[in-house]
Amino acid sequence: MAKTIFRCWSVFLLLAVVGLAHGAERVLKVGVIHHSPPMSYVDASGGLTGFNVEVMRELCKELAARCETVVLTLDRVVDAVAAGEVDFAAVSLLVTPERRARLLLTKPYYRSISVWFARPGVKPGEARVAVVKGGIQARYAQARGWAQLPFDNHEAIFGALATGQAQATLLPMANAVALQQDPRMSAQGLASTVVQDPELAGDAALGVNPRDRALLDKLNDAIDEIKRDGRFDRINTRFIPFRLQ
Amino acid sequence: MTTLAKPVDVRRTWRAGRVLLALTSVFAAIAVCGVVWLAVDLYAVGVAAGRLQGETVPWTIERQRLGRNLEQLRLEGQRVLTASSPAGRQDALFLVHVLSAQPGMADDPRTASLAAEVERFLQQVEAPATPADMQVWEALSSRLRLMADDLSVEGGKRMSRELGRMSGEMAQASYKLLFNLALMAGFMAAFLLVVRRYLIRPLQRIRRVLSALDPRGPVPAFPPGPMAEIRAVEDAIVRFHATLLENDEVRRRLERLATTDGLTGLFNRHHFMALAADEMARAARYGRPITVGIADLDHFKQVNDTLGHAAGDHVLKTFAMLLGDTLRQTDRVCRYGGEEFAFVFPETTPDEAQLLGERLRTRLLESPPVLPDGRHLAVTFSLGLADASGCGLEESLARADLGLYEAKRAGRNRTVVTRRPDGL
Repeated sequence: MAKTIFRCWSVFLLLAVVGLAHGAERVLKVGVIHHSPPMSYVDASGGLTGFNVEVMRELCKELAARCETVVLTLDRVVDAVAAGEVDFAAVSLLVTPERRARLLLTKPYYRSISVWFARPGVKPGEARVAVVKGGIQARYAQARGWAQLPFDNHEAIFGALATGQAQATLLPMANAVALQQDPRMSAQGLASTVVQDPELAGDAALGVNPRDRALLDKLNDAIDEIKRDGRFDRINTRFIPFRLQ
Repeated sequence: MTTLAKPVDVRRTWRAGRVLLALTSVFAAIAVCGVVWLAVDLYAVGVAAGRLQGETVPWTIERQRLGRNLEQLRLEGQRVLTASSPAGRQDALFLVHVLSAQPGMADDPRTASLAAEVERFLQQVEAPATPADMQVWEALSSRLRLMADDLSVEGGKRMSRELGRMSGEMAQASYKLLFNLALMAGFMAAFLLVVRRYLIRPLQRIRRVLSALDPRGPVPAFPPGPMAEIRAVEDAIVRFHATLLENDEVRRRLERLATTDGLTGLFNRHHFMALAADEMARAARYGRPITVGIADLDHFKQVNDTLGHAAGDHVLKTFAMLLGDTLRQTDRVCRYGGEEFAFVFPETTPDEAQLLGERLRTRLLESPPVLPDGRHLAVTFSLGLADASGCGLEESLARADLGLYEAKRAGRNRTVVTRRPDGL
């Protein structure tokens, strides 16, 4: 009799543990980059914020998951996601065939273009162009044989332009807005041009661990949901002066 | 000789199991068709809802975003024309370029051309803007606002259209559901009517016939029905009734053989004794008078010897018929043996029985037996009576037999009552 009761209790506890484990909050490792305003940066209070960071937080809420951030540089993002070091990356990745081959990519959550900034008179290819390593703009410059001034992040480019170290840069649309609004740039008299080249424009998506298709589906549903219920637009308003589309 | 053939019912019959199977199959087929018919609409509703959720709502949100960007473009354009500093103008112009180049703006030809027009205008206007520039700008600004309005309502219109279509499909599905329910209800009603008419009612009729089944009654008649099982039971009932009737007739014949005398038709001695015992017991229970008697035809042997046994039998039958005509219904009489007859007269004293005996004797004298050749036979009988109340049957009959003996001895053709020793 006592043995039977013990067995019943064991089964009950096992089921309870399994149930709790099943219902427990999932922990996700999320890759983020720093120093990339307005998408991902440390604000004056020392907290990580930005459009992508806040979107990531809302997605985690929607997934009922606890997200732990892993700081990466842009040139490490694709490798880290592909290797499964992070479950997904809260970094806007322009969708390219190469990235699609290595990662799972969510449905596009906006579309981006690129902007050329340069001191007056400096044309593409004439001066070293400051780019972030691993970015689509760096690849574009490399493909055209432009002399590059590579940096780890966008704020470093802003600093280089402010000090005169760099004469020109090629930036994604959102970072370009941040650069334009940077008070240090007003004295530089930089000229901006939207580069109408398909290689520098297109869908922006989040990279997901290629071995976790279930997470991809959940993230896609979560993106739809935060777009439908207005959370996406509220974040948009906080960080970018127009609607991302 | 002509044989009249029994009319054969040529109406076709059906096995109830097969009929039920056929009805169920038809019902299932109709139900499946109805469900499929309904499922088509439900599927369409599902598709419409999915389209609404997956396409129309996101499209509507994108339209609103585009409208918002047009409004932003207008504000930035206003800032370009009214900026107090070159840097401010530069910032605003930068956003104008970015907004105009945004893929979302370029998707719609209307917004693409308007944004390009705005961008060109703002690019070529030099600060400060002239009144003519501001006039052009006002027109552009108005067009931007109207376009933003149009985009905002386009999403609503599309959603409204989709919802209307979906409502129509849902309404259609509802009608189909109602139709299906009505169809099923109708089929169920028809099914119940069939069961009631061809199974339940015949069963009720069978129950009524069985509860009132009497072999002496009329042959049960059933209206011809289509159900084979019911027909089989009804036919069996008719056969059962015929068997009951036959058995009843056999039983009656056997009973008659067992209780009556074959020549005279009167009760035989065995049955008489049983009836007499019952009457004696009843009289004793209620303290009523009862009388028994034994009669013997006088000189009957002589009739047999001179005229033959056929004449003797004729005399016996004639005397038996006279007894049947003269005695009361309640009186019991039997052929006791040979030319002897025994009687029980319930509710009758010996004196009253003597009157009956005298009436019988007189009638025999008045109506003597007539032989087939026309000769009249003068036949008489002697009768002994005894009071049987409060006595046993055998004892009473023995006393009646003494009376008979006394009547014979006294010259025959008379009735003698043997009184009991106690004077009764």
